[in-house]
Formats: sequence, C-alpha cells, structure tokens
Amino acid sequence: MSTATSTHSAATTLRLKDVGKTYQMGEVAVEVLRGINLEVKEAELLVMVGPSGSGKSTILNIIGGMDSPSVGRVWYRDEEITADDNRALTRYRRDKVGFVFQFYNLVPNLTAKENVMVATEIVRNPLDVDEVLDMVGLGERKDHFPSQMSGGEQQRVAIARALATNPELVLCDEPTGALDFETGKRVLRLLVDVNNNLGKTVLIITHNTAIAPIAHRVLHLRSGEIVEVEVNATRAAPEEVVW
Amino acid sequence: MKTLDRKLRRDLRGALGRILAILSIIAIGVAGYVEMRSCYNNLSSAKDRYYAQCRMADFSVEVKKAPLSDLAAIARMPDVVELRPRIVFFATVDLEGEPELLNAQVLSLPDERKAAVNDIVLKRGSYFSASRDNEVIVSDAFARQHRLGPGQWIHLIMNNRRQELFIVGTAISSEFVYLVGPGAITPDPKHFGVFYLKQRYAEEVFNFEGAANQVVVRVSPEAQEHVDGLMRRVETLLADYGVMSTTARKNQASNRFISEEIEGLNTFSRIMPTIFLVVAALVLNVLMTRMAEQQRTVIGTLKAIGYGDGQLFWHFIKFGLFIGVIGGVVGSILGYFLAGWLTGIYTKFYEFPDLSNRLYPGLMLEGLAISVTCAVGGTIYGARSVLKLNPASAMRPKPPAQGKQIFIERVAWLWRQLGSGWRTVLRGLFRNRFRTVAGMTAAALGTAILVTGLMMRESMDYLIEFQFNRIQRSDIELHFKDERGIDALSEAKNLPGVDHAEPILEVVCTFTNGPYRRRGAVTGLLRGARLTIPRDETGAPVRLAPVGLTMTRMLADILHLRVGDEVTIRPIRGERRDLVAPISAITDTFLGLSVYADFHYLNSLVGEEYAVSGVQLATDKSPSVQRALHKELKDLPAIQAVASRAHMIQNLNETVIDTQKTFIGVLIAFAGIIFFGSVLNNSLISLAERQREVATFRVLGYTPWQIGGLFFRETAVVNAAGTLLGLPLGYVLSLGITEAYNNELFRIAVHTPPRLWAITLALAVAFTIIAHGFVQWAILKMDWLDALKVKE
Repeated sequence: MSTATSTHSAATTLRLKDVGKTYQMGEVAVEVLRGINLEVKEAELLVMVGPSGSGKSTILNIIGGMDSPSVGRVWYRDEEITADDNRALTRYRRDKVGFVFQFYNLVPNLTAKENVMVATEIVRNPLDVDEVLDMVGLGERKDHFPSQMSGGEQQRVAIARALATNPELVLCDEPTGALDFETGKRVLRLLVDVNNNLGKTVLIITHNTAIAPIAHRVLHLRSGEIVEVEVNATRAAPEEVVW
Repeated sequence: MKTLDRKLRRDLRGALGRILAILSIIAIGVAGYVEMRSCYNNLSSAKDRYYAQCRMADFSVEVKKAPLSDLAAIARMPDVVELRPRIVFFATVDLEGEPELLNAQVLSLPDERKAAVNDIVLKRGSYFSASRDNEVIVSDAFARQHRLGPGQWIHLIMNNRRQELFIVGTAISSEFVYLVGPGAITPDPKHFGVFYLKQRYAEEVFNFEGAANQVVVRVSPEAQEHVDGLMRRVETLLADYGVMSTTARKNQASNRFISEEIEGLNTFSRIMPTIFLVVAALVLNVLMTRMAEQQRTVIGTLKAIGYGDGQLFWHFIKFGLFIGVIGGVVGSILGYFLAGWLTGIYTKFYEFPDLSNRLYPGLMLEGLAISVTCAVGGTIYGARSVLKLNPASAMRPKPPAQGKQIFIERVAWLWRQLGSGWRTVLRGLFRNRFRTVAGMTAAALGTAILVTGLMMRESMDYLIEFQFNRIQRSDIELHFKDERGIDALSEAKNLPGVDHAEPILEVVCTFTNGPYRRRGAVTGLLRGARLTIPRDETGAPVRLAPVGLTMTRMLADILHLRVGDEVTIRPIRGERRDLVAPISAITDTFLGLSVYADFHYLNSLVGEEYAVSGVQLATDKSPSVQRALHKELKDLPAIQAVASRAHMIQNLNETVIDTQKTFIGVLIAFAGIIFFGSVLNNSLISLAERQREVATFRVLGYTPWQIGGLFFRETAVVNAAGTLLGLPLGYVLSLGITEAYNNELFRIAVHTPPRLWAITLALAVAFTIIAHGFVQWAILKMDWLDALKVKE
C-alpha cells in the first residue's frame, strides 16, 4: 500500500483512499495505478515525480475529476468526488480546479484574453481577466492568438486561465515540459507565487526531478505506486533550480 | 457564452470552403422542395379556384340528341345541384390567309350572361350581345395565335355549311385548362380552337331546335364520392335518347391531364429533395466528425475547465444550426424564385385565369425545419463520439486506427501486385469506412440524378421516333364528319400530292370486362397497312389478326384483359348494342389507349361492309404541293378534322422537348453540385487530416502532383464505385419517376441506349476531375514545412 500523509498542519483539501485504475486494452487489462493513499493539505505545493507510465497523469486526472478510478475513493474536503455523477464532476472542475497542461491546450482560434474568458464566463466569482493577465506578465500580449506567442507565453496564458476562475486547487501536468530552461523557471516562479501569495493548493506532476526542491512535499511514483515521499524542510526558490 | 461563440464564428470562417459545399447541397435540396411544393400548391389551388369560378361539372352525359325538357328532368334527381344542356360539335375553321384547315370544337352557351355549369372566363371583349345571332367567343390562345380579336369576322364550317361569325370576345374555361385537339397530345392553339356560340344560334345551325347533345352536371359535395352511381342512373333515365357516353370529371381529358401532372409533381417533390438532403446530411456528418476529431484536445480542455457536456454539445449543434438555418433560408428564397420559373413553364401548357407564384410561409418554414433537422442531425451524429469522451481521454491523442488487415490483403497475390501508394489508399478507404460510404452514396445519388435526367431526354426522343416514325406514319389524317363509303378513299387518292392513301374506320365505344369499363375507340386498319403499324415493346410489327382486337397494354391492364380474353364493346353509333370481341394481341404505344382491328373484321362487327370514318395519307412534302392539297381540303365540307404529323412533332418539340431540355440542364447542374460538394469535402477533409503525411512525402522527395495523385486515387476509387452503383440506382429511379408521370394520354418508357451510360460516365469523370482540381490546388499551395511542425 502506498501512503503519503502530509505533515502540513492545515486542513485537508484532498484525500485519496485505496485508489486504483485499470485500463482495458483489447483483451489485456493494464493496471496503471494501485493502492494509492494520499492526503493533500490546503495551500500545500506538492510535486509528483516519476518516469513515463508511472501513473502520475492518471492520479492528476482523477484528482481533477477528469477521470474516475476503477477502485477506491477520493474526497475533496468533505465531498466524495468518486460518488459524483457527471454533472457534479463538471461543477467541481469548474468551481474548484484550475488545470495547466504540458502543451498549454489553448483554443487556437481564440486570443490570449479570450482563452481566459472562455473559463471565467462559466464561473460565479472569477478574477478580473486583465488583472490576471497582467499578473502573468501578458498585459501587452492579450490580443494575440496562440500561434503568435512563444511556448512560455502560451503556458502563462494557460496559467492565467487556470487562476482566473479563482479555484482552490491548481493542477499542473508537466507545466515546464515543453519549455526551455529560462522560460520554465519563470513559469515555476509564477506557480510558487500562486501558492505562496494566493494560498492556492498546487499539484505539479513532472518527470523532471530537478524541480522537486520548490515543493513542500515530493511524491515519487513508479509502476502505479507511491514509492517514496520526501518532505522538504526548506524549499528552494525556482530561481535556484537547475536542470 | 460569448467567447465560445467567437470561437464558433472563427471555426465557421476556417471551414468556409467546406461549409459552402455543404450549404450548396442543402440549399438546393430545400430549394427543390420549396420550388416543387410551391408549384404544386400554385397549380392545385389555381385549379380549385378556377373550377369553382367556372362551376366545373362533376360529370357530363353525351347523347345523340335529346329534348331540353327531358334533360332538365335530371335536375330533379337527388344530389344534382345544377346542370346545363348544351350542344357540342367538332367543326373546322377556314381562316383567311391560313393555307390549312384548322380544327375546332363548338360549344353552346346561354344567350345571356348567367351563372352556368362549365362557364367561361372572358379575357377580352364581352359576352354575347342582343344585336346579332351569329356572335362567337373564341378560345383566347387560338385568338392570340391568329391575332384575332373582338370586332373581327371568322368562318367556321359547321354542319357542312360555311358560317360567318362575329367575334365579340375571347375566353378560357376550366374544362380546357389543358386544351388539346382531337388526336393531339400537346396543346396546339395554332391548329385547334374552341368556339362558343349562343345556344339559340347553335340549335339553328345544327338543326337542334329545343334539343341538346350533352348535359353537364354538378352534384352536391356529399355525392362526389359516388358520381359513378349517379351517372348510371342518368344513363338509364336518358336511355331512349341514345346515351353515347358518360364522362366523370376524373376522366375528363383536361382534368385528367392536369391532375396527373399535379400528382406527378407531388411525387417528384418528395424524391429529388430527399436525395439532396440525405447527401447533405452525410457530407455534414463527415465534416463534423472530422471537426470534432480535430478539436479533440480543445473539447477535452474545455471539459477540464468545467464546461458541461450539454454546453459543448450545444456549441457544436450551433455549428450545424448555422448551416441549417442559412441553407434553409437561402434554399427557401431560391425555391421561391425557382417556383416562379417552374410555374411560368406550366403556363405554357395550362391556361388558368390566375396561375401565379405565391409565397407560402408555412412551406418555407417546413423547408427551414427540414434543413435544420438534416444539418443538426448530421452534426450530432458526427460530433457525438468525441463529445461523449471523458476529458482525460479526449485530451489523449486519438488511439491509432486499428491496424487490422483489410480483407483485400488476404488475397495475397493481388495485394502483392499493389504498390505502397495503392495499399495506403485502400487501407485508408477501409478504415474510414463511414466517409467512404458517404462519398460513394453521394456519387451514386449524383449519378442516379444524371441518369434520370438523360433518360427523360432519350425517352422523349425515342417516343417521338417510335410513335411518329414507326407506328403513325401517315403525313395527314383526315376525319370525316359522318362515315362514308369506299368512294371516300378514291376521292382522297385523287387529292393533289397524295402518294398513297389507306382507309380507317374509327368506332368510338365503351369497353367492358366485368366490373371494368373504359371509354375508347377501335381503329380498323387494312391488314398490311403501311401508314399505321401497331408494334410490340421490342418495336416489332404486330400483324392484325383476321378476328379480334389488338389492344394497347395500358388499356388491357385497366380492363384486366389478356390475349385470348373476350371484351364487350358497345359502339356509340348505329344500334349501340353490345358486341363481343376477343383480344388477339397486345401492343405498346406511348400515346393514348389505341385499339386496332382488321378493317373488314371491324366493319362486319358493326354491321357494315366498307364504312370509312377517315383516311390516312402519305403525301409529297414539297411546299407547293402541300399548299395545293390544303387548299383542296378547305373545300371539302365533309371533313371534321385534319391531323398533320409534322405539326404534332413540331408542337411536341416546341413545348415538351424544350421544357425538358431546361429541366435536364437543371438536373445535370444539381448532380454536378452533389458530386462536387461531396468530392471536395471528402478530399479537403482527408487533406487536412493528412497534412503531416503530405509534408513527409514532400520531405521524401515526392512532387505535389505525385501526392495529388495519391489523393486522386482515393477520390477515383470512391467515385468510380459510387458511380457504378448509381447506374442501376438511376435506372430504378427513372422507373419510379416515369411510373409517377405516366398516364393514359402520355407514357414515357425508360429508354437507355449505350450513349446514355457513356454520357453519364463521362460527366461523372469530369465532375470528379474538376473537384479534384481544387484539392490539387490546395496541395500545391500548402506550406508543408509548416505542416511538419503541426502538432495535432
């Protein structure tokens, strides 16, 4: 059984109990996650590292309400999201979660600002779109289309989109995976600020172990299991990270 | 939802070319529907209004001669609302400056204007005045053709006497919406007219004082259903006066023709638009499937950030809705104008007081609803597979298509012959099975439309050739007012320019076989006659048997008769007693319900020795001889009607054929749009999907033309298969359409000479190549280096 309980003293935001996921590929069943137990505290920055196929994306998808586990239960605060129907999951993703993807996943024919607006338009208390874009340093570039922006800029739009709905949970799938070193560090700074200044709970999955020092806690995954949990007594600043 | 709508707008703009292709197919489907339904409404409502306005009779009874008082007794029968006895005769017109004798039907009307059954609608001039007896109202089309009008004089040969008549007005009537002369099948106002005389004057001219030979009757609405029973009772009531025939409205020539045309339009208006809308839905479906696939990640992301399935579904539906609404609106407007054009064509054949194109908002809404349903249906079906994925799977790239062997691969020796190009093409076709089927369906339906259009043209040519070169071969047919003896034949032989003459005896009669009855005529021909040759469906001559009748297949079917059966005939002449004759052969004709018998057999059957009702002539066609012949004919008072083969053919060409050419042109254009729209869409979609593949081929050193060739192979295979399927489908569709249009007056046989198939194939190839031209152009201008970087 893989267990990772937080040493953080704040309230528990997320709890996973005995979560497993099996995909049926034709006649073969592939078990990508097994026996995952995890607690994430409010305002924690958690990094999950592991090689491709270790199941980290699957955990993120399950936490984000984008996929459901084959076995086990997941709670967001006191609400069991594994008991939710499709409609409730949609509401959960809309109100509680912000996603940042490796390949940014912007809508190609919407401008930077519109890509953020597409998210804010469906939530009740969004942040001001222009302010968020200013915050990620894109105030000047907000009318550009994704194809007119660099990868780093696109990732910052994606982060703006994730933050603008004012979620409690920011889930990042390889946020620096497609970026060069300098740009990657700038994006990490942004995520650390979001965690420190806005008090958001941030989960980052990556196979780049170099970024682990910026987290409160680091989970190592292998073959669908948590094999190691590291607690950083002191967190490094993103600027100190090298890879 | 503003931002998503902005995305939608840009999506639409991005797919503009493909959307235009679909829009044109949908718009044409809707336009065809609105056009034909509008025209159907225009015609049927114009007919209803006209019939009401003219108090159109529900049936008529023709007698030899009956006193007006006795005819009036019918009015007392239950269910009879109104009736009018009148005098009806055929006559000829001797028009100054017109070399030929023209045919006329003379009808009596009340001396003073009053509501009357089978009334007229005055077009010019006025009704009869009290100042002269010999006033006449002329059918408007005839007057127009000959520039006749109120105030002019005209001469008719009636009852063997040349009468001078003063034209007071011109008119049309609901019983002559489709005005055809004796023996004709298309309106020929140049050679046939209707002339209305005062009742009193007609009585005097035809020696009918206080009598009439026809009564036209209107019945109560409740009795409409059982007019037949009522007619039988009237027949019994008038038995003493020699009932020659009774004609229910449904069998009245003009009504029958227009009703059948309207019915044909009804059928056609459902078949053709359906084809277009089916293709549009299929093509849209393919486009939407592609679009949804392409936006897989976007959909996943939107779902991830909290968009619900419903919201996204609605987003995609709006795409279909947009196409549906635009297609519906454009189609409805186009349909309205096309209906105006089509209605205009009908005014060439049908005379109505107010046949005009009207706007039917209900119909346009129907068109819009059909368009939206088809567009949204195609969209939902196309997008649903992606929309129902959960966000995590939607964001994963599409799993590679199943790499299973396609069945051709199992035929190893064949597969080994194929190069990698063909292998890719074939695998692609089998893996995108739905798209392949959609493309084939579009090609098949486009081909079917082509075949149908061309078949109509071929069949009309064949009809004219068969009917006027092989069956009816006389140049001129003369019909006498009364039956004559053998002298009539020698007299005709001596007319100027006559090379050969044959007698005919036409016996108008009622055929009865058990419960089946039909009015018609038997034409007696000399055995071995050269000027009328009955033929079977293969075109082989059918020799008349010494005994028995040779009957047209359609009439035999109506009467449920087969060769060897006996039929009862009651001639409308002489003693009018029932005679029995066997059916000796079945023939095929395209016009009317001809029945032939040996001249001598028919004579003896009706108790005559050598009665002649008309003569068929083969003549010298030089203009001077023709002039002399017609001059001579004008002086023969015994002639009731003259039919000229040349006029009939010319008239058919000017009316039916010309109209058909227009229709066929439109059908070919429509078929082209189907081909085009479908080929263009499929190829552009395939190109968009395979940008990377194209780029890779470029890197490997393929030229744009070689790559175009790969795409063309795919297009060619799909369209060739579709076209080949479309050929038999077109044949079946042609059968269905001719079935809907064929009637007792006029039939089209599906005639498909090799040239028809060749033209169809050539057009299909041309459409495919032209549409592929656009794809080749897109490949030529594609920025393949950029495509290499594209991440799907």
